[in-house]
Amino acid sequence: MNYNIADIIKKNTSVSDYRINTTQTDSYELFFVGRALETVRSTSTTDTSVTVYAEHDGMLGDASFNVFASTTADQLAEKVAQAAEKALLVDNKAYELPQNEELAKEMSSNFTSYEPKALAAAVADAVFAADNEVNSSINALEVFINKNIITVENSRGIKKSEVKYTAMVEAIPTWNEGESVELYKFFKFSEFDAKAVTAEIAQSMREVAARSKAQKPNVPINCNLLLNADELQELFHEITGELSYNAVYFSQNAYKKGDNLQKGAGGDPISLTARGSIKGCTNSAFFDATGVTLVDTPLIKDGEIINYFGASRWAQYLELPVTGALPCVEVEAGTLTDDDIKKAPYIECVSMSGLQLDIYNDYIGGEVRLGYYFDGQTTMPVTGISISGKLSEVLATARLSVNRVARSSYYGPEKALFEGISVI
Amino acid sequence: MAFSQFLDSQRDSCKALVARLSEKFGYVSILGSDVKSFSVSANKSSTTIGEGNLSECGFVVKLHNGKAFYEYSLDNIGDVDATAEKILASAAIDPSLDDKTITCRTVKDDPMVKSFSREGDYGKVADKDILDFCKRTKDDILAKDEGIVNAVTAISGFNVSKLFITKNKELDQCYSWINGFMVAVYKSGDKIVSAREFAYSDSIKDVMTELPCHMDKLIDKLYHLAKATPIKPGVYDVITDPSISGLIAHEAFGHGVEMDQFVKDRALAKQYVGDYVASPICNMRDGAASAVSSASYFFDDDGVLAHDTQIIKDGILVSGISDLISASELGTQPTGNGRRQSFKRKAYSRMTNTFFEAGNDKLEDMIASIKHGYMLFETNNGMEDPKNWQIQCTAEYGIEIVDGKLTDNWVSPVVMSGYVPDLLKSISMVSDDFKVIGAGSCGKGYKEWVRVSDGGPALKVKVKLA
Repeated sequence: MNYNIADIIKKNTSVSDYRINTTQTDSYELFFVGRALETVRSTSTTDTSVTVYAEHDGMLGDASFNVFASTTADQLAEKVAQAAEKALLVDNKAYELPQNEELAKEMSSNFTSYEPKALAAAVADAVFAADNEVNSSINALEVFINKNIITVENSRGIKKSEVKYTAMVEAIPTWNEGESVELYKFFKFSEFDAKAVTAEIAQSMREVAARSKAQKPNVPINCNLLLNADELQELFHEITGELSYNAVYFSQNAYKKGDNLQKGAGGDPISLTARGSIKGCTNSAFFDATGVTLVDTPLIKDGEIINYFGASRWAQYLELPVTGALPCVEVEAGTLTDDDIKKAPYIECVSMSGLQLDIYNDYIGGEVRLGYYFDGQTTMPVTGISISGKLSEVLATARLSVNRVARSSYYGPEKALFEGISVI
Repeated sequence: MAFSQFLDSQRDSCKALVARLSEKFGYVSILGSDVKSFSVSANKSSTTIGEGNLSECGFVVKLHNGKAFYEYSLDNIGDVDATAEKILASAAIDPSLDDKTITCRTVKDDPMVKSFSREGDYGKVADKDILDFCKRTKDDILAKDEGIVNAVTAISGFNVSKLFITKNKELDQCYSWINGFMVAVYKSGDKIVSAREFAYSDSIKDVMTELPCHMDKLIDKLYHLAKATPIKPGVYDVITDPSISGLIAHEAFGHGVEMDQFVKDRALAKQYVGDYVASPICNMRDGAASAVSSASYFFDDDGVLAHDTQIIKDGILVSGISDLISASELGTQPTGNGRRQSFKRKAYSRMTNTFFEAGNDKLEDMIASIKHGYMLFETNNGMEDPKNWQIQCTAEYGIEIVDGKLTDNWVSPVVMSGYVPDLLKSISMVSDDFKVIGAGSCGKGYKEWVRVSDGGPALKVKVKLA
């Protein structure tokens, strides 16, 4: 496009304000079948979204549209006019747009030291370095190397940009002896460490070997539940979602300030802070879609809800501090050690079909594809079981590990032990 | 809405680019995509109107020369020679991978020139009328009960134009689809519950007519869900509504017959083609031409015409579904199931409209046959495991059946899990009615989202619930 989007928007007198968001993506992707390269992809694209605002009758309306490389200046002017008409139909309570901040940040990453093609090949090599057992293999591998340049500017002086680097790996460790079994492994990173990638995959190769030996227990199990960081990330984000200004404004938040998530708790008190950026979390960001600088905010202290968080518009409606839409959560470490875990029988969920959480119905559960069952003396791999329980009762008993690890949007305990789960 | 003027204007450039790249590659295709979408919604104290999240405009070029496939996604063709140079430079892989590529038979490029369209009223209903409808319907829901703390009504739609060009092929298609939904959030004491209802069609007017007809059902669900209790985990006789039947079809076997998984040895179904995998009264199909829904198109993202594929026939697995690459690698005919999340993403073998066929039983007889069990309703989510045939499906709610009658005892949520062949072979009754639900989305693993529909008749099965 050979025009300035803002200049064309400004010509429309119905538009009181505007915001322009862009995401420029350059990616390099490798797709393997076994160890054979099946498909190579490159992308070079830009997404541009424009939001126009129209003040009318003491209200503020807005409407959004996309601008493509194919959009001509005349077409853009027409899109602006149509969006302005739509915005005049929208009668939302007025609020102020973020203003007068400029920022240009680049996420620290060693990806800048590599050509994308070479980096993708090096990541693939690191994955296949863990594929060295006779009876196992990696049946499929996808490697994505992404560079994203994200910008937001508005008519009130917001002009921000950030450059992010992310690698995504999807690998399928497979055990091939006897009845073949597989596990699904997906992870992201923004610092390439070949040894760490190999170690991550090697761990999955050990797990898939365990799955090949796993059996459905032939006696009823009544024991504690041990969840790992991937499931804990889901659990804590589900809880955090109930604390957003948006949910609070519409009175549909299951939790409210002052609630204690761990009534009658005998476990480690949960303390959680929503953050914009955490080292090791690939979802880290410096600002949200409206351009607001993110403000780290403690949400849960010793099990009690102490704050909400969220975007500027909802913060203004609720007359609460603007924190921005915070993408990451940090959970404080607890006291749980490996020795503590083994004080009573437990089942460790290594791979689940997906942790099922329904806060409204006070439910936690899911199907366990691979679990390690410790009966008090020995540990055995199990499969074909489902867990379920009341979330409120489970949270009250939470024991959080001393060790903490980072995931894409979580930094917190590596493991947590819970009571009150049914296993069938 | 007519076919994209922009894509029309790019036909000659696409042909020129195909010709230029064909100097180096035996097979070259270009898929041009111009998707317009909108979303209008109203809730208790806010309204939104704008572009939907399916909008896109761009191209993906596919190259093949008997070894690995190469793709390049870009926003605009621009100068043909410069773009060709950029693509060719990018197609050179890292030297360390040179001797690690697949070898694959050359893709067939049969001659075909065709245009397809499906008429709808996309773009013909004024934004104000849609917004007024959403506001009015939302107000009507809120007026039903003071305990309803929020209500949302939304109409969204998309209009797809796609252009597919190879040396011998020139295809274009244009179609649209509309989804509408209502959600109500209800507070009863300390408990908050939500319920939803959908309407979908290729006509905005039809959706706006049908959606309010579901309002009483929506409110009734809220009252029952507020009193719902957790289910006692166990193995039960179960009747599935068409939504849950469709979820089983999709998760239990649909993902397992996506033939790119055959290539990767990731699907147990590969070993069972020609064998009984389900009860002999079980029949299952998939295809963009099998039904009209949000997942129905005329040709796929590989330029293969839509099919209607029988997957299970009288309990026997007879066919999988494939995209162009997996079919080329397996030496089979592609079934028109090559789908991309967008022009920026790879095409995989994906489901479209996936469903069990109707049987001969009456629903009331099926319920009457159960001493104690549950009837399950409404898909929440599901997860596949094609290699090991485990399944997890979550229903929004179940209603207890006692002595052959539905009771007033609701349970929520309900997670169904088990071993796929056990589940499918346990199908003992299949109802004679049938419904395909056209408003869903599906990922592959945890990414690559595409629109899908699924459904079927009611099924009687024996399964683990928790």
